[in-house]
Amino acid sequence: MPSGNNAARTIEYCGDDLLSINVASPAEAQALAEQLRASGAWREVVPGIASVVVQFDAIDVTIDAAMRRIADEIKHGIAAVECPDVLLEIPVVYGGDYGPDLDDVCEQTGLSADELIALHTGQEYRVDLVGFTPGFVYVGGLDDLLHVPRRKQPRQHVEAGSVGIADGRTGLYALSGPGGWPLIGRTTFRLFDPQAEEPFPVRAGMRIKFVSISAAEAGL
Amino acid sequence: MRITVIEAGLQTTIQAGARRGMRHLGVPTSGAADALSLALANRLLGNDLLAPALEATLVGPVLGFDASIALALTGGLAKATLNGEPIEFHRTILVSAGDELAIGSVETGTRVYLAFAGGLRASDVLGSVSTYMPARLGGHEGRALVKDDVLHTQRASLVTDSLRTPEAYRPPITSRWAVRACRSAETHLLQEKQRDALVDTHWTIGRRADRMGMQLDGPTLEISSAGRMPSAPVFPGTIQCPEDGSPFILSVDAGTTGGYPRIAQVVRADRHLLGQMRPGDHVRFLPREPPEAIVGLRAMHDYWREWLPGIERVI
Repeated sequence: MPSGNNAARTIEYCGDDLLSINVASPAEAQALAEQLRASGAWREVVPGIASVVVQFDAIDVTIDAAMRRIADEIKHGIAAVECPDVLLEIPVVYGGDYGPDLDDVCEQTGLSADELIALHTGQEYRVDLVGFTPGFVYVGGLDDLLHVPRRKQPRQHVEAGSVGIADGRTGLYALSGPGGWPLIGRTTFRLFDPQAEEPFPVRAGMRIKFVSISAAEAGL
Repeated sequence: MRITVIEAGLQTTIQAGARRGMRHLGVPTSGAADALSLALANRLLGNDLLAPALEATLVGPVLGFDASIALALTGGLAKATLNGEPIEFHRTILVSAGDELAIGSVETGTRVYLAFAGGLRASDVLGSVSTYMPARLGGHEGRALVKDDVLHTQRASLVTDSLRTPEAYRPPITSRWAVRACRSAETHLLQEKQRDALVDTHWTIGRRADRMGMQLDGPTLEISSAGRMPSAPVFPGTIQCPEDGSPFILSVDAGTTGGYPRIAQVVRADRHLLGQMRPGDHVRFLPREPPEAIVGLRAMHDYWREWLPGIERVI
């Protein structure tokens, strides 16, 4: 998504070695991150949903110089990135022990469990972001009817493969650990495999479809 | 050279340098939570400052040896014994075949670092040998040590120098901390009074404290936008405040993105201190402007360089 409108892109401090650049969309965040990473000038270049944060070595470069370098890089717009045209089917066991917040989400949205599942499986999505923990996937484009907030306090333990929804997105937990998204189901799709040639099978820009299966079918 | 784990301690892992340049794939920094103490231990053995060593948490391990080797202890304050006789931290210790080293409970601070001449052997995964337990990466099978594990050093090393860390280079371990912090991207979501509260409060480290992060117990902060925002990149040292108003600080194993407002960021020079804080400790945040913080970082490097050449890679 080439975009010449950089008036909206502000650069701000996030700490003594961190600068954040606000962008218009997850796709723009991915594109800007790729562009910045290509320069090799940064310790970390991390896209978010609506921003990119760079970490720089404050010993090598002053914070002002880092800011100028970013401003120069985005002056001529952000080059689009090639999105891999892949459609992944993600099997999900909805509700019960696998989606402990499903009833809660139904209550908040006024939907029945069946309606919720039909809505969630009824469309194609795009991966906005991989982040949080190795292989955690943020999937964009959730139906308006399914918009619920994050939990007020994160859970200390969420099972690997858990499928959560929050703030208009679906989140796929690659690993067990703490997490704040209301959980509606669980997938057996391997989201991260450090032994594999490609440890991260899901990448930003890929298309996703959720398919409802039973616990028995999933082998859970 | 075999090192046998007789007792594992509460949570003992192999840690070395950070995993760098992988945060965009969700891979946390990992590595020693108190990298300065790791470097100080390695320094006493002539190792690379970030050579793989053991990080013991709150209760240390008991280890046996089948050959002579030099080792060194740094970090949190704990009693350590060799064959029942007390041994000192911050000096090179030579152990022999059949010896038994025991590290007891950590009384002040949280993490003890135990380095071995030559460095420990560990598996390199995604750019570092440091253990990241949630994904079972690196270290010894990606996990904390258990009884009967056997560890190896990378190479036989003939350390002959017996060194002691000079007094001036022994970091104070305390239960009352002060760390410098800069504003972050969502600091403005705190009203001015709340920003003052963040800085004026003597926060208590909560019960939920580990390598991922630490809860801060204290006053409830009021945050606008209901404490939520689109997921954004976070780093070790980021202080976030969710809707319930109880802030938490992220540490080395924390996730790479988060959806709660980033209200402050512990400065690079002080992030290693987080690795020694434990539940019940008090912590204050000293506000700094980013350029001021970087001046502080340079001063810190200048101070440490004489004893730890290459400190820039550590802190």
